[in-house]
Amino acid sequence: MTSPPSILPAQLRGALTGLENARVLVVDDNRINRNLLLALLERGGIHQVEQAEDGNDGLARLEMFNPDLILLDLMMPRLDGFEMCKQLRGDPRWKNLPVLVQSSLNRAEDRARAFAAGATDYVTKPINAVELLARVRIHLHKRALLHDLEQYHSRAERELALARSMQERLLPSPARLTSTEDSLGIAISAHFAPSSELGGDFWGKRRLLDGRLAVYLVDFSGHGVGAALNTFRLHAICQQLAAISDEPAEFLAAVNKRLCGLLPSGQFATMLAGVIDPTAGVFHYASAGATAPMVWAPGDNAPQLGDGAGLPLGLLASIQYDSRSLPLPPGGRLFLYSDAAIEIPLGGDVLDEAGLAAMVARRIGEEDGARFLDGLLDELRATGPIDDDLTALVLTRKR
Amino acid sequence: MDYGIEQRDQEAAVRLRGRLTFNDHAKLRALIGEMKQNKAKRQVLDLSSLEFVDSAGIGMLLIAREEMVAATKELVLRGAVGQVKRVLTVAQIGKIVTIED
Repeated sequence: MTSPPSILPAQLRGALTGLENARVLVVDDNRINRNLLLALLERGGIHQVEQAEDGNDGLARLEMFNPDLILLDLMMPRLDGFEMCKQLRGDPRWKNLPVLVQSSLNRAEDRARAFAAGATDYVTKPINAVELLARVRIHLHKRALLHDLEQYHSRAERELALARSMQERLLPSPARLTSTEDSLGIAISAHFAPSSELGGDFWGKRRLLDGRLAVYLVDFSGHGVGAALNTFRLHAICQQLAAISDEPAEFLAAVNKRLCGLLPSGQFATMLAGVIDPTAGVFHYASAGATAPMVWAPGDNAPQLGDGAGLPLGLLASIQYDSRSLPLPPGGRLFLYSDAAIEIPLGGDVLDEAGLAAMVARRIGEEDGARFLDGLLDELRATGPIDDDLTALVLTRKR
Repeated sequence: MDYGIEQRDQEAAVRLRGRLTFNDHAKLRALIGEMKQNKAKRQVLDLSSLEFVDSAGIGMLLIAREEMVAATKELVLRGAVGQVKRVLTVAQIGKIVTIED
């Protein structure tokens, strides 16, 4: 091929590099016009050009040729350019394909009709070579950028979906919850809803000796990918320290010590760790700035709130945590939740623990844990936008 | 969130207004830069007009504390009310930052 002719400004020639793989379909019933456009594109560095002589021919060649741009004449026999354009836009594959109309029709109505049929751009004959190539370049360039963006977007989507399924696997599976209920008589209903694809919350449980159950709920500061990566770290730490999970305050202090060296400044986690002791009828717990746990027994008309006060994890390595406890007799229920549940905007303030406790009280007689949780979540969602990760756990002593 | 700085003899008081959340990261970074620049040893964040803080907001206050320590300045959180006060209390932030009423 010869070098680009001198009619192309240097700037334009430069901008056309990278478009050598572009595919252009020229649809025009006039062979002389087609040859003219072909030569023009060739001079502009676009060599993969297919020709069609009317709308039907153009539609047929779309499938085979898969162009990046169509140069479309309007007045053609059999199927004209308006109709061809309308038909190809009806196919989702060609929805974003640039269609550059080149026509001798130059009335405003013709242009309007062409755009209404789905044209991307419009130039009138006689063709100005520099202008036409400039417009071709712009549309091909936009298409290339859009393509890159779509590729990036779909890759990010795939990776986030994979990460999301990995994160869900950090949580106890439904099968394990059923086995806990069968062996310990403690039914667990859980809800986990990140505010974006990934979340900064997670929870876990562990069956201890002599019928006790350790449970914990973690909420990392922020949300999204950064917070989610931290959940994987903390999950590993909790597994390593499982042996002391029967002593909540000690467990929290040890987790904190490990986490302090790992987190960059400004990041931290709140965590509530506890042990349900059915024999003693007590929930022992410790809190690193978590929300107040709630408990109630059959016949109660309001939940009893525990104390969530404590320095969050990851801020000060030497910190000790207080051991606290709440009564949890047979039939009693424990409710744990991340702070998204109490930070729902309400008037000028937020829902807060008192507001959540009132919601709990309204359905306190609901015996089925899952139904209790569903009803509560419905009411939370109806209260206002939940713009953080929301995790909620209901643990019910069946015996 | 927006803010205004008031310089006094020995301290600079920064009044935070509105909601302090993840979205204010860039703004708080700029504010911390200003707090490091000015001469006062005591940098007071006046929270009395702050309506809401989320965990990311607390994180940014902790970053401010660290940056002040590095610049040998003292950070004080003053006058928190409502939800902001409750969050600071539950997280026992007073253990690592000076809090005044």
